[in-house]
Order: sequence, then C-alpha cells, then structure tokens
Amino acid sequence: MISKIPSKTPGKKRKGSIEFVESDDELSGAPLEGVLSDTDDGSSLAAEDVSEGFDSEEIDNDEHSSDAESVSSTSSFHRHADYKVTTDANGNERYEYADIDPVYDSDDSDAQEQPNTIGDIPLSFYDSYPHIGYDINGKKIMRPATGDALDALLDTIEIPKGWTGLTDPQTGKPLNLSQSELELLRRLQMAEDMVPYFTGVEEKMPLSSAPEPKRRFLPSKHEAKRIAKLVRAIKDGKILPYKPPQERDREQNQEEETHYDIWANEEAQEPHVMHIAAPKLAPPGYDLSYNPPPEYLPTGEEKKAWQQTDPEEREKEYLPAQYDALRKVPGYGEFVKERFERCLDLYLAPRIRKNRLNIDPNSLLPKLPRPEELKPFPTLCQTIFKGHEGRVRTAAFSPDGEWIASGGDDGTVRVWSLNGHQEWSARLSSEETVNIVRWRPNKDAFILAAAAGEDLFLAVPPLVNDATEKASRDVLDAGFGHAAHNATTDGNNAVKKDTPAKWTRPGTKLEEKGVLLKLTVRSAIKMLSWHRRGDFICSVSPRGQRSSVAIHTISKHLSQIPFRRLPGLAQAAHFHPSRPYFFVATQRVIRCYDLQRQELVKAIQPGARWISGFDVHPGGDNLIVGSYDRRLLWHDLDLSSRPFKTMRFHSQAIRAVKYHKSLPLFADASDDGSLQIFHGRIVSDLMESATIVPVKMLKGHKITSNLGVMDVDWHPRHPWCLSAGADGTLRLWA
Amino acid sequence: MPRIKKKGQAGAAKNYVTRNQAIRKLQISLPDFRKLCIWKGIYPREPRSKKKVSKSATSSTTFYYAKDIQYLLHEPLLQKFRDQKALEKKISKALGRGDVGDAARLEKNAARPEKTGKPRYTLDHVIKERYPTFIDALRDLDDCLSMLFLFANLPSTSSVPAKMIDRCSRLCLEFQHYLISSRSLTKSFLSIKGIYYQANIKGVDVLWLVPYKFNQRVVGDVDFRIMGTFVEFYMTLLGFVNFKLYTSLGLKYPPKFDQVMDENAAELGAFTLEGLTIAGTENGKQIESSTHKPDPKVQAEVDKVLKQIGNGEANDGEDTTAQDEAAEEEKAAGELDKFEVAAKGGDVLPQPEASDSSKRSLFANTTFFLSRETPRQPLELLLKAFGCKRVGWDAVLGDGAYTTNELDPSITHQIVDRPSTQAAAEASEDAEDNQTSQKLAANRRVPGRVYVQPQWVWDSVNDGEVREPHLYAPGTSLPPHLSPFVKSVNGAYDPTMPLEGQEPELEKLQAGSDDEEGEEDELAEDMDVAGSDDEDEEGEDAFGGFSADEDEEEEEDGDASEDDRQAELEAELAGGAVNSKSGDKKTKAKEDARKALAKKSREEAEDLERAKGMLSKKKRKLFEQMQYTNNKKSAEDEKLRAKRRKLEKEKQRKAKA
Repeated sequence: MISKIPSKTPGKKRKGSIEFVESDDELSGAPLEGVLSDTDDGSSLAAEDVSEGFDSEEIDNDEHSSDAESVSSTSSFHRHADYKVTTDANGNERYEYADIDPVYDSDDSDAQEQPNTIGDIPLSFYDSYPHIGYDINGKKIMRPATGDALDALLDTIEIPKGWTGLTDPQTGKPLNLSQSELELLRRLQMAEDMVPYFTGVEEKMPLSSAPEPKRRFLPSKHEAKRIAKLVRAIKDGKILPYKPPQERDREQNQEEETHYDIWANEEAQEPHVMHIAAPKLAPPGYDLSYNPPPEYLPTGEEKKAWQQTDPEEREKEYLPAQYDALRKVPGYGEFVKERFERCLDLYLAPRIRKNRLNIDPNSLLPKLPRPEELKPFPTLCQTIFKGHEGRVRTAAFSPDGEWIASGGDDGTVRVWSLNGHQEWSARLSSEETVNIVRWRPNKDAFILAAAAGEDLFLAVPPLVNDATEKASRDVLDAGFGHAAHNATTDGNNAVKKDTPAKWTRPGTKLEEKGVLLKLTVRSAIKMLSWHRRGDFICSVSPRGQRSSVAIHTISKHLSQIPFRRLPGLAQAAHFHPSRPYFFVATQRVIRCYDLQRQELVKAIQPGARWISGFDVHPGGDNLIVGSYDRRLLWHDLDLSSRPFKTMRFHSQAIRAVKYHKSLPLFADASDDGSLQIFHGRIVSDLMESATIVPVKMLKGHKITSNLGVMDVDWHPRHPWCLSAGADGTLRLWA
Repeated sequence: MPRIKKKGQAGAAKNYVTRNQAIRKLQISLPDFRKLCIWKGIYPREPRSKKKVSKSATSSTTFYYAKDIQYLLHEPLLQKFRDQKALEKKISKALGRGDVGDAARLEKNAARPEKTGKPRYTLDHVIKERYPTFIDALRDLDDCLSMLFLFANLPSTSSVPAKMIDRCSRLCLEFQHYLISSRSLTKSFLSIKGIYYQANIKGVDVLWLVPYKFNQRVVGDVDFRIMGTFVEFYMTLLGFVNFKLYTSLGLKYPPKFDQVMDENAAELGAFTLEGLTIAGTENGKQIESSTHKPDPKVQAEVDKVLKQIGNGEANDGEDTTAQDEAAEEEKAAGELDKFEVAAKGGDVLPQPEASDSSKRSLFANTTFFLSRETPRQPLELLLKAFGCKRVGWDAVLGDGAYTTNELDPSITHQIVDRPSTQAAAEASEDAEDNQTSQKLAANRRVPGRVYVQPQWVWDSVNDGEVREPHLYAPGTSLPPHLSPFVKSVNGAYDPTMPLEGQEPELEKLQAGSDDEEGEEDELAEDMDVAGSDDEDEEGEDAFGGFSADEDEEEEEDGDASEDDRQAELEAELAGGAVNSKSGDKKTKAKEDARKALAKKSREEAEDLERAKGMLSKKKRKLFEQMQYTNNKKSAEDEKLRAKRRKLEKEKQRKAKA
C-alpha cells in the first residue's frame, strides 16, 4: 500500500492527529489512492529520507488530498482540523473537539480546571460563538449547555451539594460552594464572626492585689537619657528633619554655587623660580581644516603608510580629510581620548624648561670672508724633491726664497733649487740624524744652521756670489778672534766653568764643503731658532735638563744658558720678532721672558697635553701652537693665557706649525700625511679679533711608520709652502 | 680636617623626592595624592642629573620637587581627605558589626555634611592660590574651556553624573553669553576635530576646542575619575571667572535661568542677562539683547499684524537705527581721542586702530535664518558675537529663535547646507504662492535674500569683512577653509599665495623642465595645425593619443619624436630653418641655468662646510640640529608645493580641454 506511507509519515510527527487521519484515509480510500499514488510515488519517499520535520511538500500533498476529498465525498468530517462538526440537540452546528493526548508535557492532573484567559472583557462578546473563551493552552472553552436541553436534564437529576444557582463568570460554569464556605458566608451575614478574647464583664476580684509600684509614677531615667541624646543630636544638627531628595539636591546646588569675586583684591605674585607653566596646545594648522586646500590631502600612499604605522609612532594623530559640506563632517572619534591624554600630560608629565633658540641657524656661523678674498694660498704640489734616504726631518726656505735646505735621517744636509735640483749636500754625521736646518734670516749673509745630534753646524753653501759668500764667512769667523781674546783674558774662569758649548772647526772635509763652524752642546739638539738680526741662535735639546735651552752668539762664539731650571722638558723656543722677548715651550706651557729685564712676562697655557711646536706671528701678538694631541691652537697674547681658537682637524699628531712671514697664512703639518693651510688675518683694531679660516688641506705625503709630514716652511714672499715628509721627499706647494 | 660629606644629604638629592616618598610623607592614598596634585597644579620634575637624585637603580621613577610636597603639607584639603577616610572607616566598621542603621546614618550625614562632621571641601582657596590675579586665570583657561565644553556634550553615565554635565553646560552657556555681550570672540575655525574658537579677553588670547554635536566615542582606557577631578576644578574656576567677567560688564551673575526654555533646547536663549541693580542706566543696553526675543510666537504674530498694516519694514528700520545711534553714542564715549602733535620735536606715539570695533559688529544690520540642517549652536554664537541681533531658525532646532518662520520678510541672509537648490529664477516665479504658505517647499528660495553655506560665516569672521556670498552659494564647491591661527613664517609654504612667489629657484627650474616637455608637445601640435590636411589628421590622431594617456610617458615621448619629425618635414617644405632648434636652444638655456644653479649650490655647501668647521663642537651640534629641523620643515613644504603644482597643471589641462 503505497498510499499509506505519505499519510503515515506526517502522522507520526503530528502526534494528535494520527488516528484521525488514518481513519480518514480508510474512509476515502478508493478515490484517494489514485491521486496520492500519482503525486507521491518517489518524492515523498525521498522527503522521508531527507527531513524529519514538517515537509512543505507533504503538506501540499495533504491539501491536495483534502481537496480531492471535499469534492468526492459528502462527509462532514474535515481533515486536519482537530474538531468535528456535528449537530446538537437544536439542530445547530456543534463543534466537537478531539481530546488532547496526555503526553508527559501536559501532566497537570493536579491543576484545577483551566481558567478562562480572555481577561477582563464582558462575556457578552462571545454571545454569538459556541465558546466563551480560551483556556491556557489556547483551546476553546465551550459554552455549557443551556435552555430546554438543560431543563430536561435538570428534571432528571437532583440538586447537587453546594449548588448556588450562580455562574462563575470566569468559567461560565455553575459556581459551587463547599460546606465550610457556606458556613463562613452565613456567619458573615449574621455578623457572628467574633472570637471573644476578653470578656466585657468586669470581674469582682483582681488577679493581683499588689499596690502600684512607684516607678510607674516616676519618669523613666533611661528614656530621659535617650531623649537628652536626641535633643543634643538635634541641637548639634546631627539629626535633621526629613526632606525630599529633590529639595535637598537643589539646596546643595545652591550652596555649591556660591559666587563672589575671588580676585577682589588681587596681588600679582611672581611665580616660583622653579615653576614651569604647562605648555599650551599648538593651534590648528591648515591641514586640520574640514575643507583644506587640496595639496594638504594625503595621497593614497601616504594614507596607507599612516594607517600601517603604529598609533604611537604616527607623526600626526589625524589624517587630513576633505568634506565638501559642513553637514558631512563626522564626529571626531578620538576627541575624548585626546582630552584625556592632555589631562595626563598636565599632571603626570615631568616638565623641563628647554631653551629653544629662536634664531636663524645661519647667525651662528661666523662671518667668513669670501674665498676670493682669501686667495692666494697654496693649492697644488708644484715640485717633489727626492734624494734623501730615509725620512726628511726638516726643511727651510732661504731668506731670499731661492733655495731650500733640508736635512734627514741619512745625516746629510741638502740645498735644492726651487725646480727640484739638488745643488749642494754635505754629510754632517754618519750615525746621527739631521734634526733641524734653519737659514740665518738676514739677506746680507748666506748661512745655514743645521743640527745633527749634539752638534750644531753653521755652513755657507757655495751657491751665491762671491761677495755674499765672503760676507758670510766673515760673519762666522768673526767670533774666533773674540773667543781667543776672551780666552786669554778670562782663562781662569773658562777653565773653572763647564762651558755650555764648544766652538770648533768641523774638520777639513766638511770645511771644503762649506761647513765652517761646529758647536757641540751637551745633548741632542731638536730645535733651532734664529734671532731676527742673525747674531743669536737658540738651540733646544729636550733631554738637556739644565742646559736644554742655549743661546749662542755668533759674533762672539759665545753660548749662554739662560735658565737654571725649567719646569718640564723644553720643546721649542723662539725669539720675539720685534721685542727682546724670548718664548720657551715646555710640554704644557709656553713662557715668555723678557731678556733685558730677565723676568717672566707671561705664561701661556694652550691646554694641550704635549706641545710639539709653536710659532710666533710676525706681528708678535699671536701664537700658534701645535700639539701631539692633534690640536692646533691660536693664542692672542693680548687677550688671555687660554687659546682664542682651538682647531682639531687632524686625525694624528701635529708635528710643526708655521706662520707666513708676509701673507696672512699659516700651516701645520701632521702625522696623518696632510698639511692644513689656514687663513689667519689679524686686524690692527683691538676690538676685532682675528679671523681664522681653514682654506686648504694638502695631501700627498705618504705615511711611513706612522709618520707623515715632519716639517713645514713658507716661502718668504710667495704663498708657497714647503713640507718635509717621512717618505723621504720634500714637496713644494704653490 | 673637614667632615666627609655623605651622599644624598645635600644638593639635588635633597631637592627632589620620589612619588612614594611624597605619599608617605603626606600620609594619604595614591588616588588622593593624584587629586591633590591635579588641583594644586603640582607636576613631576625632571632633575638635571637623575643619577645624583635617585637612590634606586630604576630609571623610571618620577620625581617631585621637594618644596612642592612641603607646600602640600599645609593644604587644608589634606585634612578633608583624612576626615573622609575616617568616615569611610567608621562606616565599614559599622557594617562589620552588622549595624546597618548606624552605617546608614553615617552615610546620610556624609551626604549632608554642612550640618554634621563634614568631610567636605571647596576649591576656592586653591583657585586663589594658583591664580593670584585674574589674568593668570585667563591664561590657563584654554584647557578649562575645552574640557568643560566636552563634558557639556557627554552623555551621563555612572562616572559622569548628570549633575556635572548640567553644570558644565550651564557654565559654558554663561561664558558664551559673556562672549556675545562683550564681543570678545575673535576667530573661529572648522576643523575635523571640532570647532576652534579664539577670544581675546582682557588682552589674553584664549583658544578652545568644541566638539561637533555627536555622541562622543570613548575609545581606549579613558579614566573618567581623572577627568572628573580636572572637571571639578575647572568648574569652580570657570564659575569664578564668569562671575568676574559678568560683573566687569555690569551684569548680574548668575543670570536668570529659565528651566522651561532650557528643556525646550533653547540653550543660549534660556538665560536672561540682568544688569546689576546698583549699576547705572547703561545696563539697559545689555538687557536689550535678551528682551529682544521674548517669545517667537508673539513676535510672529506682531510681524503678521505689522505686515498687514504695511509698515513692518519701516518699524524694523526704525528699530535698527535707534540701536545704531545708541551704539554710536557709546562708541563716541569709549573711543580714543586723536592726539595731534602741537609743537615740533615731539615723538609720535602709535594708537590702536578703531577698525577692531567695526570687525566686531560684522553682522550688525542683518537678520539670519538657519535652516534645519545647519549646526545651530556654533552659528548662533558666532553670529551673535559678531553683532547680529536677530537670528532665527527652524523650530526643529530648538527654542529661543528670533523667528521660526522661514518667510519672515526681515530675514536678509539664510544659511543653508543642502546639496543643491533650484535656480533662483524658478523660485521667483511662484514666490507669490510661497508667501501665503507657511512652509517653503524644499529647495525653494525666497527672493531678495542671500543664501549661503555655513562656511561663509566662518570665513567672514576670520577675514574681518563680509565675504562675497556668491562663492558660498548653496551647491557650489566651497573655497578651502583656512586656519586663521597659522602665522605666516618667512619662507614657509603659504597656500593663500600664488605658487610662483614662493618656490626656490632650483625647484622652479625643475618644474619648468617638467613643463617643457608638455610645451614641446604643444609646439608640435601648433605646427601640425599649420601643416597640410592629410598630415593634420594624422597629427590630430597622435595628439589625441597623447591627451588620452597622459600618464604613459613612453607613448608621450614617441608622440613627441613623431611630432618633431613632422615639424622638420614641414619646415623643409616651407624652406625655412628647422624650427625645433629654437626649442633646443631653450632647453639648452634651461640646462645651463640648471648647471649654474647646481654649481652655485655646491659652492654654497662648501662654504657652509668651511664655516661649520670654525664653530665649537657645542655650537656645531646645535647648528646641525637646527638645520635638521629646518630641513624637515622645508621638505614638507616642498612636498606641498609639488602637490600643488601638479594639481594646478591638471586644472590647466582640464581648462584647455
């Protein structure tokens, strides 16, 4: 029976109507069979597999079948309604409802009859219906039978117990009262519902005949105490009469808002020195506008970059946006947060006073002369002088500027012409190096002083015309007579005193070469410096202790030791270019002595650790000091003992420094293989300080065993510079 | 021998205390300490050398200035905090005993502290201490106003009680009333964050930010207790400031507050300013502003009647003239006299210009009507603060309007923020009908009235003169709204100036070279036009390709070369010299100029390097730092200029097309 399957399946689900439907099927079996088998062959089977709940298709089928049924059969049964329509005693339609299947959900046997749920509406509304309302499950409550049928019934039965003849308006059913309820009603009616607790009758005999105690007539102390307490509390205002909360609030508000002029008699107070007022927030810029100029809007990339950065790291906390009308501007989401952060800043952020310099950074820069004004200065390597074996220790221009003298580790002194040709050379010593060569500054004679070890040689290279050469030889030889004369007069003294230097002839071999005089001091000479007149030369031998600085007089062949004791090792010494002053540099301090008065004039403290050399400006008021700790210091003797400018442009120690004789130039030579040329103009005006401008770095010397350029000298007239390198070359820069 | 000094006994170590030390010394809890710091304006310090001060190794300790903490020790509020703490202890003890009644009594008494033991405080003395003079208070008003205006717009929650919001908004409205009657508002700016206002009160510039009227989003962990502490202080401050400001104008403070009007969202209209009873007759003028708009309904009725009679206009005019006269008289009394130099040899002392006052009564003779889509509160404030007496608005926007009738004939300006309105001519056609109907249909205009967008008000106010309304007509794209707070720095990018004046030479040259390519193309195109017909067509095709694909440079180049070739051919045909040479010459000149410029800049850089070498290390560092920031700024400016150049070029192209 295929037809049964579709009808059964819904039946299982719709619990209440199973049997009914089945029976219905059986009733109308024959005509239905065909219809159902037509439609439901496969689909219902499939539906059964697919779903367990109601299936729309099946419901459709049911409806189809019901249609078919209504057409085919005259039965008054309706499918799927859970009531039957029958005719009652009067011949009217009557709805009979199927019983509810008592599944465990509806297990309410204890509960009373379902009350009517229609609420507080007149029952007359239901007059035209067979029911008078709905119970809690939504089922209709049927109207109880009335009229003739009931009368007939009444005749047959006796009046039940508790019958009142009233109807319960809620249920519409007769209202029955139990016996006890009836009794209660009766009692109420008769006003008999009184329980006698006390008798109304006064008894003759009292229960107790004890006299009334005194305390009954005295006011209670305890109560008095409590009252006193309350009174006190009221007096103190601790207990207040009740006030409604709104009124209390209003009063409070009024009190809060007491207004008066707090600044009536104000006095300005200086804020505390340490007080720092909170900085104000910056005013909004163009990009914060709701309708900014289009160039302030971020491009796609900028927007993306902004979104990808962490909110903490964003430069701006907002993204500029454009809205074409004010009504389109949305609320700013971060408003509360930004205010809160401002609050935090106000009370949590440490405040520091930062002096922001509101100046043009360019005003910091010194006013420099234009590069054209600084010219001339050496820029290129003009000539390279090769010939020395080993390092070239020293180099010097002759006073006429045509010759160059140099000395090196090979113990030779060489004189070169400017084109690079070696014109003269002499080996002063085979083992000692030539530490320094210096030309006598006057042009009337052509004398070269060179120091090798402890010996100081004075030579007249045979390169000049005879007259000059003769004059030179005369200058050197003049002392011999003087010395001899002195020796004869003060013979005893000379023997007694240990002479600071021995003046001798160097030997025939050298004499042939032109080296005419030899002085021997007690320790190796490192520095030489001529007096401007050419009569005195001072030698510095740092190891010499007491006799480290000696001044030699050429015309008298006399050597003097000006200082009995020097604090520290002497490094260099120079005569003042115009006055009778003498500068001596020890490791840290340069002292200036007056030779005439024999007293200390000034002590200059460059602040360098170890002075390597210094030079006095031709004007005589300025010094430059080079030091092994890479500093070049400019001192203005008139200003202070501290340096006026400190220049630290070298990466290695500075070996030598030199002023140009006539041009406002100076140079230093360093172990990093470079020379630095500075422009240093001194203005005669006392108010204005010197302008120092670095102009050139001359690089070319190779660094050999950590030594670069050993010495530097300037051409007396031209802006030409000569350097002696540790790589065995001399270079002329022009 | 002198005694050896112990570490941490003198100097910086004694000058600073850590937060924990401070709390221990004051014997209060951390939240109380926080409150105290906020109210008394005490903030942590950064010692010059943390190492000398700090005893511990932690680097993140906060230090307070020891004198500040010592100063807190004498604070009366401290005692109140302690009392509060004692009371709390009592209550908790009572609860621990199970004596609920006692606890309730204690708590109740705490709520009414004025009669009881009272742990209750006012911040009056703190304000007097922090701001010894009124000017000091005004200087610190920025944060106060921003905060209170924010709180006036917040929804009430458990942490932000409704009472607080109420008070904030009242204080703010009172302050706005002062601004209106003293005409001290100077500038305003519509930003994406909110609306900035600047007022000049007693010579002090006060700048604050008011959020747009939206529900505020609370993001992140915002602690409203801290904000509340600030707001408590600021409320007291603004109360006193308002009092002082009102009395300085001869007004009574607090102004009369109409609860009913306030409930109908009248906002500013809910207050009625009253003159001080003791003060003289001049207060009449101040009161006038508030009495002027007694009841919109009555006003409307009166207007109607007057219109029927037909002399409504005249009356209105009379009214204004009377006002003007009064204003003039007042002005004459307050104006500065001109000091002429009588004898030779005296110095001329400059006097402030009188133009300021004209700026403050910018909208004096106008009547505004705000459409319902416009923000009423800021517009009302701005218009009234700049002299407008009659501001009406749609009834939707709340009570207190001069008129709610859009058709009121006295209205001269209407502020509209709608997408587009129909042409005025169309509206004038059925103007007759409109007069009779109460409401206008959407997008209809009343003739003889200026329709502008809200930005017009702001731009006019910031410029100090009424801007041309046609630029701001509804539906047109607005000119950019610029911040009035930016001071133009020499050399910085200024969007109001033309681009040519501000770009440095190098940039100009580069821009020029970019242009050049475009120009060349144009040149070629011109030649095409001159050429024969068949070529012309071809050329047009090529050019069409160019204009369509501007971005594809390759194609562009191809076109250009093609055009060049054509030009050469043409020139040959014509028998003249090849025209493109002139272009070459031009480019060459440009190239030369660029090279010269590059050389010059290189030389300058060298000079700079040399000069820098002469600075001391400290100064050099400073210089470099300054340069860094300057470079950053100039890079930003350059970017802006580049963007603008691009935009302008595009615009030109569009205009050509």
